[in-house]
Amino acid sequence: MVPLNRAVSPVTRGTGERHWNQRHGCYDRACVTATSHPSGTARLTEEQLLLRDAVRVLADERIAPRAADIDRSGEFPQDVRELLAAHDILALPFPEEHGGLGADLLTVCLAIEQISRACATSGLILAVHELASLPIVLAGTPEQQARWLPDLAAGRALIAFALTEAEAGSDAAAIRTRATRDGDDYVINGSKRFISQGSVADLVTVFAVTDPDADRHRRMSCFIVEVPADGFRVARIEHKMGIRGSPTAELEFTDLRVPAANRIGDEGDGFALAMRTFERSRPGIAAQAVGIAQGALEVAARYATERRQFGRPIADFQLVAGMLADMDAATESARQLLYTACLEIESGAADAGRWSALCKLVAGDAAMRVTTDAVQVLGGYGYIDEFPVERMMRDAKITQLYEGTQQIQRLVVARSLLGRD
Amino acid sequence: MTSILVVGEATADGGLSRISTEVATLARTLAGQAGADISGIVVATDPTVAATDLAGYLPAVTAIADPAEADHVAPQRVASAVLEAARAADYILLGASPDGRDVAGMLSALLGRGVLVNAVGVDWDDGPVVEMSAFGGKLITRSRFAGGSGIVTVRPTVVTAEPAAEPGTVTAASAEPGADLPAVTVVDRVAEASAAAPIEEARIIVAGGRGVGSVDGFRLVEELAEALGGAVGASRAAVDSGWIPYSQQIGQTGKIVKPRLYLALGISGAIQHKVGMQTAETIVAVNRDPDAPIAEFADLVVVGDLFAVGPAILAELRSRSG
Amino acid sequence: MLRIVVLIKPVPDPASAAERLTPDWRLDRTAAPPVINGNDEYALEAALKLVEAHGGEITVLTMAGHGATDVTRKALAMGATRGVIVTDDALAGSDAVSTARVLAAALRELEYDLVFAGIDSSDGVGGLVHAAVATLLGLPYCSYAARIEPNLEARTVRVRRISPVGYDVLEAPMPALVAGTQALGEPRYPSLKGIMAARSKEVITRSLADLDLADGSVGGRASTTQVLDAKQPPARAATRVVRGAPDEAAREVVAFLAERRLI
Repeated sequence: MVPLNRAVSPVTRGTGERHWNQRHGCYDRACVTATSHPSGTARLTEEQLLLRDAVRVLADERIAPRAADIDRSGEFPQDVRELLAAHDILALPFPEEHGGLGADLLTVCLAIEQISRACATSGLILAVHELASLPIVLAGTPEQQARWLPDLAAGRALIAFALTEAEAGSDAAAIRTRATRDGDDYVINGSKRFISQGSVADLVTVFAVTDPDADRHRRMSCFIVEVPADGFRVARIEHKMGIRGSPTAELEFTDLRVPAANRIGDEGDGFALAMRTFERSRPGIAAQAVGIAQGALEVAARYATERRQFGRPIADFQLVAGMLADMDAATESARQLLYTACLEIESGAADAGRWSALCKLVAGDAAMRVTTDAVQVLGGYGYIDEFPVERMMRDAKITQLYEGTQQIQRLVVARSLLGRD
Repeated sequence: MTSILVVGEATADGGLSRISTEVATLARTLAGQAGADISGIVVATDPTVAATDLAGYLPAVTAIADPAEADHVAPQRVASAVLEAARAADYILLGASPDGRDVAGMLSALLGRGVLVNAVGVDWDDGPVVEMSAFGGKLITRSRFAGGSGIVTVRPTVVTAEPAAEPGTVTAASAEPGADLPAVTVVDRVAEASAAAPIEEARIIVAGGRGVGSVDGFRLVEELAEALGGAVGASRAAVDSGWIPYSQQIGQTGKIVKPRLYLALGISGAIQHKVGMQTAETIVAVNRDPDAPIAEFADLVVVGDLFAVGPAILAELRSRSG
Repeated sequence: MLRIVVLIKPVPDPASAAERLTPDWRLDRTAAPPVINGNDEYALEAALKLVEAHGGEITVLTMAGHGATDVTRKALAMGATRGVIVTDDALAGSDAVSTARVLAAALRELEYDLVFAGIDSSDGVGGLVHAAVATLLGLPYCSYAARIEPNLEARTVRVRRISPVGYDVLEAPMPALVAGTQALGEPRYPSLKGIMAARSKEVITRSLADLDLADGSVGGRASTTQVLDAKQPPARAATRVVRGAPDEAAREVVAFLAERRLI
């Protein structure tokens, strides 16, 4: 585990000049309330507003200036990870008794949204942190929680979620990675593909088949693998269209031994646990998507008021203003649906799965549409990296693909609607 | 008959601060309109020079010697020493300098009198009618005192100092503590860099911002200030980068200035800076970015590199002066 | 153990550019979201650093109606220990004299070694309320502080006061009132832990009656000043934009300055 540099000095807030930085698509020194988007305030508690604004200022001042470089270099931003840890942002999803902040789902999503507005890769750090820890939080024994959650809450350990395989994406139940019981251990063999942060994690939540003959949804179990470990290897890192600073890894397990005490839940619980996890983690991706969309919208709106053609700002032209209005409508509706979904899921709604799928579906499509339109508004300038919208468009695409493709989300919604779940 | 008292401010070297000459001039104008009595008072270790200077502007000045401190007399002692004279006057005028504000606040508490602060203009209509700038200069309000007495602090450069036709009389007095205000001792005085007169008093200010780029870059700002006979100012970005001390910072959390000329080099003109200088009579800016906010309210904007334009302006100024 | 009271004030956010007056010429405090007055934040940050170094507590005190809880909550989230809010309908439209009296009365109920405040406030009260408060309470007063160093054993405090040429070092016995500037250092973000801990911190409210000041001697009715009117300053002339070679531009600038008799 990476020893964390806790001597990070308390980050201060600039109350000085605001300088609009075109490349970063934000103000160099954010002034909180002036740029606070008033959305959803009717349902947000005062504490949530303060938390949201605190994350927003941090994102604008410390993360946004790094976003372009993170994308260009394709390197995992350890400095941002440390910043999030130092400011207790990575502690949000964890119970207070283990050093977390015990924040509700909506609050976690508010944080992901604000960070993603500045940098999708950085927003993903919190989203993956939440996703991969959920099995431990949802189904870990007190001993397991006490073992792993404190380091996760403190940001000392990073965690990755390893379910997907080369031949098992949407069809998650078809995974082939095998965990064979051997005394007090399990021996894991197989490989995983497209694992976010798989190469920088200290813990990997691995789903492996424990009973190949069982019913589809009872074949697999969930294990926490502490790495580095004998038999664990990062086989490759993908070169991606977007979220380029987040290392997407192929992991190989060769006779990797894992104590039985690292199994979360009972044998065969894996699939159900994964589905329960997605119920709570999909809103996190929706939040990332809403954040990306908002970031793109702000850049495009600002550009339209400054760029002059035919003697006036292009915002004066209705074709442009109309596009921007539609972008705002798409972003805001995705946001409000997300906030409602979080409240429903948190309060234990029976159709939590439907809410989760709906918000991710709508937000992912909104992000793709809004970022594409943002590039359009900027015209030629939208296509070059002098402005952040081309990156935001590339970043947005993944929100339609991971944590369940949009097609899978539609299946979930249809099943719920048609009474077939 | 209404009486107006001007509390003058002595400088560290025993002279009279520029702002006091302006306030005294203003007081004379008001007294003329009001048919009021005016006098001045100044407290210093050796008040002779300051009092004589002030008497150049007012018919009568009381000079109070307070040798307790080495040079500069603390606001507490000034307030204490002038208290009785202040009590006897209807209206008290002071410069809105740091010391002036302190003294005004103390007198307000000791006398229970109201204050109208940071005046940018004062008229008379059966009492002072005070113009003040609100919201960083977006609005000018006019106010008066509810009763027949009050304290007014006046911003620098609001009035041009004009000596009276004839110098007034100076009467010496010693400091009788009028109030027992707790002592604050001056343990040390430190002079940093080249700052001289308070920047709020300057008639011409040449200010550098983020675009200046470095502490060396500020030399150009200094040279231009010198060539124009002005003071060097800065935006917050320059102060935060350590290129110039905070005492020269202009803006919301720095100084508010109203010079005749404000020449801004490499300053974007964002609102936090704008509120510090937007009431300057003439604003000239040099900036690479034609869309910088300062271009919206400056009188003249040169779009270009300040390191090319700046020296060119210097050369042009020098060739003019021959 | 240092006990510091920090005077904070909510002001309409200056950066929101939405500040305005009500029809009866008072500051419309609801026009823009309230923030802690810029200079007060530096004072609060200085207090937080000192308490981190020496141990102790910080009480934030604000006299305000609208925005009082917002800024108190933010200050608590930054690390203050407790908050005191003085609020009363009669206080609307208070002038500097009333404000000083009320703050002094509230301070009389508290125990402290130091009182901090920010010099000036962005909504215009002019930087002298704190001098008046100090005078009413008989506290030594140091303004324009760039650095504040208490000496607990000697019960004194050293303050660097900004001067036109640099700074003076002042020394005063504690308890003392110090008004600080931006030079004290950038205020911190409230940490998320701080925001959540703020929930359970104590906030006390005092009315004028609680402070024995309900006799009409303070507040809007007792104002010693009144606003007559407000107007916008005359609009500036349109901006003249100069491009072209530096030499040419320089000639234009200098000619412009000469025209206006500035050189």
